[in-house]
Amino acid sequence: MIEAFFRFDFLQYALFTGLMIGFLAPVLGVFLVVKRMSLIADALSHITLTGIAFHMLLARYNPTIAAVTPLYLGLAFSVSGALFIEWLRRMYTSFKELAIPIVLSGGIGLGVVFISLADGFTTDLFNYLFGSVVAVTIQDVRLIAIITIVVTVLLTLFYKELFYLSFDEEHAAVAGLPRQWLHLLFIVMVALVITASMRIVGILLVSALMSLPVAAAMQWAKSFKQMFVYAVLIGEVSVVTGLIFAFQLDWSAGGTIVLVAVGLLLLSMAGRRLLTKVAVQMNNRRTTSVE
Amino acid sequence: MELLQELTFIQRGVFAAVLVGLICPLIGVFLLVRRMTIISESLSHVTLTGISAGVLAAQVTVVFQNVNPMYFGAVFALVGSLLIERLRAEYQHFQELAVPIILSAGIGLSAVFISIADRGYNEWFTYLFGSIVSVTLDDLQFMIITAAVVLAVLLFFFKELLAVSFDPEFAGVSGISTGRVNALFAVLIALTIAMSMKVVGILLVGALVTLPAAAAFRLAKSFRQNLILSVLFGQISVLTGVYTSYHLNVATGGTIVMTAVLLLIAAHGIEFMLTRRNNQRSDVHET
Repeated sequence: MIEAFFRFDFLQYALFTGLMIGFLAPVLGVFLVVKRMSLIADALSHITLTGIAFHMLLARYNPTIAAVTPLYLGLAFSVSGALFIEWLRRMYTSFKELAIPIVLSGGIGLGVVFISLADGFTTDLFNYLFGSVVAVTIQDVRLIAIITIVVTVLLTLFYKELFYLSFDEEHAAVAGLPRQWLHLLFIVMVALVITASMRIVGILLVSALMSLPVAAAMQWAKSFKQMFVYAVLIGEVSVVTGLIFAFQLDWSAGGTIVLVAVGLLLLSMAGRRLLTKVAVQMNNRRTTSVE
Repeated sequence: MELLQELTFIQRGVFAAVLVGLICPLIGVFLLVRRMTIISESLSHVTLTGISAGVLAAQVTVVFQNVNPMYFGAVFALVGSLLIERLRAEYQHFQELAVPIILSAGIGLSAVFISIADRGYNEWFTYLFGSIVSVTLDDLQFMIITAAVVLAVLLFFFKELLAVSFDPEFAGVSGISTGRVNALFAVLIALTIAMSMKVVGILLVGALVTLPAAAAFRLAKSFRQNLILSVLFGQISVLTGVYTSYHLNVATGGTIVMTAVLLLIAAHGIEFMLTRRNNQRSDVHET
């Protein structure tokens, strides 16, 4: 296993990108969950697929485009999708939650049309959907590293503003924060992270890495900061364990990572319930002994 | 049943598409007023888990060898819909987390099943994106039965469903068991998704549930109109989609959904024009 790791470049690439997304996805996921927007990650990841399908179509007719990684077009599509969702939410004021399903389904529909025009129902597409460790190239690693740096810098710079906005949007607006700009910035960051995570976990599983570790962290965390720490911890554990198991058992990498995350979530839920039960019993005992 | 056997594969496909274009938009209208359209998305992903489990089971065991994986899909969707209800209770303050959790767990599990089953990619693509030509006689029978069940339940419990959808508290007070109706509804969604999967594919079922209902919602003035219009839009999308997909040689699910998207845009345009004309008319009245 360790020997293989040093022998094959792609395993090293997979581990590095895995570590990066195991950090990025849960961090943004915390904001998404608190803002009650965890579904937006799903919509954006499906639109990323549309972008990738469009790249496939272009690459079929233009060989110079084929040399570029499809991640760029995926990124462009998911950012414009994010803007479109915001616009739709303003349109459907009384049914805001419709914006996401509309964009999600429209995106997939268009993507499927692109794919069939490009004759792209191949292994390649399958790797984009479910992720693949083997598919990570050095070009991808570079792009993902840049995304990691940009998002981390933006998050540290705007942490206070985003925090404020997530918990008390109205108050933040009254206090003079440029709400729309910050929201936009945040959505663009989500789009960036989705693009980064797509290679390893796949389009269909990106949102899992954003919501599952956060849901598990919610069971333990007592403050917002703790939630970040636990979420990132759980995210990294899922990614690394998932990658190792996937390699050993020859399973799909994205699927295994997500299953580990699901397992950790179930453990957290059970552990939390056990702890509260114990606490209640201790309390009862104390009160009865006092009586 | 004998009549069904005489159908060619194209006739079977069109028949299946018409069924799907009837049931999906109907359920979609109810989901829309309950603000739960996204649930169809997560249940469809759970259906994929069921199907991949079914394919894997057929490969590994002898007992399940001849079982259509669609049945597995239906069972998983049912379990998933009940699980979502449970999780919504668990995360009361973050109810919308339930859907992403189920969705991700479902897809993660199916990704693993798929990689273990190690079948060709093409088979999975038919399930993911739909393929009308692959509708078998067995599938069609399954679809007819589920469609009949869904329609019957909708007709019998129309009032209860309506009451619970629009005003759950009032419905509870007037003696309707909200929990039971919700469970019934969850079963309906699961059945709808399981039956539509062969035609539009798992990734696109949600679209056929949401888009016609959303388009109808722009134009309809009552709930009944909403139902009628959304079925109409569903049928137009399905038939146009099948026709164009056949002539352009594009995946059926994609063309169906794109037609539905165009209808939604058109509905928006019509609504916009209508309101403008009304405004002008009222302006004239005022002067």
